[in-house]
Amino acid sequence: MVGWPGMSETTREPDARQLATEARDRVRFEEDALALSDQVYRVARHLVGSREEAEDLMQETYARAFRSWRSFTPGTNLRAWLLRILTNLNIDRGRKQQRTPDTQPLEEGDYFLYNKLEASGDGASDEERVVERLSQNDVVAALSEVPHDFRDVVVLVDVGDFTYADAAQILDIPIGTVMSRLHRGRRILKQAMAESAVGGEE
Amino acid sequence: MMTAYDPCAHCEEMMQPYMDRVITDLERAEAEAHLDGCTYCRKRYRFEEKLRQFVRQAVHEPMAVGLKTKLAELRTPLL
Repeated sequence: MVGWPGMSETTREPDARQLATEARDRVRFEEDALALSDQVYRVARHLVGSREEAEDLMQETYARAFRSWRSFTPGTNLRAWLLRILTNLNIDRGRKQQRTPDTQPLEEGDYFLYNKLEASGDGASDEERVVERLSQNDVVAALSEVPHDFRDVVVLVDVGDFTYADAAQILDIPIGTVMSRLHRGRRILKQAMAESAVGGEE
Repeated sequence: MMTAYDPCAHCEEMMQPYMDRVITDLERAEAEAHLDGCTYCRKRYRFEEKLRQFVRQAVHEPMAVGLKTKLAELRTPLL
């Protein structure tokens, strides 16, 4: 009878039952991770600038996840675990850590975009019709203009639906930083949307 | 210097915590009391909700089928 870990050098033959269990756990992990790939991609796509980069990053992420599947604790949030690998790889790939907060212009308040769109329209102020003044391209372009540090948080929370706590863990930053970056990031995003939708400063 | 309390400015500041549901019951009740009586803020809160839905949909770009296959091929082969 071989005790855990059971694969020590003194073991003459690997315990077949244990190997079977491990293979089963691994296959299950791989299936779970693959089932989440659409959701992971949804976030990944906007953490980088292009589809190609996102696809490369996804492959690196899954290759690493499949290699280190044993370090995942079953029952915890696998999607967050995968995105933690992905964001780390993204930073390792040489993404410049931007240190912009001091040089960013002071952004407008939370009502800015609505005010801007309402003022530019035909007088209709119904929220739905005001939103319709934005195009899909306005949003995608505006998101890519948000500096990385802020964008990561906005994408994780607003596109990936992660909680503040998950985003903090994924990015390895304090929750207070998540909240402040999210707030500023959303404001910068709205400002960029306003500019692409109704033009810059008059 | 004295600044007059501006309930709409306060409401604007509360928008993120309100939308993200990270405020106390009391703060929520206060915000809702203001929103009930203030068309200006109510429109902007509703707009924010619509905007978030719109952003979520607008940025959605489905993953290429080919990528899914490539990811599946990265699995450890079974012996």
